[in-house]
Amino acid sequence: MALQFLLNGLIEGSMIGLGAIGVTLTYAILRFSNFAHGDFMAWGAYSTLMLVGLIGSAVGTVAPIGPLSFGWPLILAGLGGMVFTGCLALLLDWLLFARLRARGQAIVVVMASFGASMALRNLLEFAFTSSPTYFSRKIQIARPIGLGIRITPDQTVLLGMTLVLVVGMHLLMTYSRTGREMKAVSQNPALARVVGIDLDRIVRMTWLIGGALASAAGLMVGVLVQIRPLMGLDMLLPMFAAAILGGIGSVPGAVLGGLVIGLSQAASVQLVGAEWRQAVAFVILVAVLLVRPTGLFGVQER
Amino acid sequence: MAAMLETDGLVAGYEPGLPIVRGASIRVEPQEIVVILGPNGAGKSSLIKAIAGLVPISGGAVRLAGVEITRVPAHRMVQAGLAFVPQTENVFPLLSVQDNLRVSAGGLPRADTAARIEEMFALFPDLARQRRLMAGSLSGGQRQMLAAARALIVRPRVLMLDEPSAGLSPRFVEMVFARLAEIRRGGVTVVLVEQNARAALAIGDRAYVLVEGRVAHEAPAATLWDDPVVAELYLGQRSDGGR
Ligand SMILES: Nc1ncnc2c1ncn2[C@@H]1O[C@H](COP(=O)(O)OP(=O)(O)O)[C@@H](O)[C@H]1O
Ligand SMILES: [Mg+2]
Repeated sequence: MALQFLLNGLIEGSMIGLGAIGVTLTYAILRFSNFAHGDFMAWGAYSTLMLVGLIGSAVGTVAPIGPLSFGWPLILAGLGGMVFTGCLALLLDWLLFARLRARGQAIVVVMASFGASMALRNLLEFAFTSSPTYFSRKIQIARPIGLGIRITPDQTVLLGMTLVLVVGMHLLMTYSRTGREMKAVSQNPALARVVGIDLDRIVRMTWLIGGALASAAGLMVGVLVQIRPLMGLDMLLPMFAAAILGGIGSVPGAVLGGLVIGLSQAASVQLVGAEWRQAVAFVILVAVLLVRPTGLFGVQER
Repeated sequence: MAAMLETDGLVAGYEPGLPIVRGASIRVEPQEIVVILGPNGAGKSSLIKAIAGLVPISGGAVRLAGVEITRVPAHRMVQAGLAFVPQTENVFPLLSVQDNLRVSAGGLPRADTAARIEEMFALFPDLARQRRLMAGSLSGGQRQMLAAARALIVRPRVLMLDEPSAGLSPRFVEMVFARLAEIRRGGVTVVLVEQNARAALAIGDRAYVLVEGRVAHEAPAATLWDDPVVAELYLGQRSDGGR
């Protein structure tokens, strides 16, 4: 059996995992499933694309870095896209979710996120049409790295980016004051207020981080696959599966969950055919929940 | 002189038009231990939760050392000098003992935090031995210790506790009350809601009896236990048959 699926799964898992961090944090801290999270990914990819265009029109054509398909403008635009998408998430919360949250019915907020998802997607289709677009149409040459596995330079760099972001997030959650406060709020929001934690600040941080990481995942999908208004919607189920699989609230859990889903999807393409790919996330999710309802990293509270 | 903590006709409740605290006025002098007694459902917990900013206030005022803190958001109370230990779920179960203290010390200057955590461990040596343990795995008594340490770490002027002895073994009850007396000697004003009236009155200076959201009686702690008015207001809580 060809082992290439391992690499494909690792890459797909990274994209899912990056997105799932935002899903798991939003769920743990704001207590609702944000179905618009996938669309943050798409908005991240498109905003990055726009920024690349802006930089291009300001400085002209920039040569790609070494064997990569892109140059420094994409890196800069990627960072800009993360900031933009983080702010988009903040804006959406301010306009919509915060108001509904104040009324205290979780299901209303969830339904609102469905609506927001549709609106965000339609806006992209309106502005960019529903046909796919690309950061670059350059063909990359995949190099063998042993065991019959081949990897392109773009894939290598983006896997590195994922690693940096995930380790950074883990350090933030474990050692920073904000990370501890986020955990405290997810465990007991009322007590968090009693000990002096500003809930509004933590909510803002959660949206910023979730939006920024979704944008990074969108960039990764955009560079390695393609950019489409529906790109995020397609990732929604795998992201939720990963977040629940890893245990709600756990950053390493979300990433590990993403890798499990990504690898299984890639394996299923090889073993049972691509049409079953989407079902895999679902089957794994159900199987794990039956065996371990709190997910891989989840802890029973009582 | 201004009281350390004072409520003035406080009205508060969870839903609009449904007051649970109905015009409660209490006054706590600096370094006093004031006990709040009353039958189940009288609104004792709601009263101190309203003072702490956790229950919406619809009337009256709360003052801390002469400064009005009515409707100050709960997360600013720590800065105002008011610390609160809820009755249940008063620690973060999935944070270590140490991180429970750290996350509660956010208001302190950064350089001060580590030293202050060690001071808390010196005050509660039991906790020091378990600093890396998840708070959720502590025993009931140790949890109360952690909850108290968590509240004290920011050097509050007023410490409010909701039934700190509930569910504890007699040995721990004694320890908790001994600690509270010590904490007061350290200069902290204490407001104590208790079902365990006997033990609370033993360390308290004064007591209020709350009935249906209002103060029904006020007396020095030493005389309250034998007060016939109280026996009437406060039936069912006296297990030793005072009358
Ligand atoms: N979170 C809440 N939401 C609505 N009503 C509540 C809540 N907590 C307490 N109550 C009501 O407030 C009243 C007083 O409760 P409480 O303040 O807990 O009394 P006590 O502490 O004296 O036993 C009770 O009737 C109770 O049902
Ligand atoms: Mg109570």
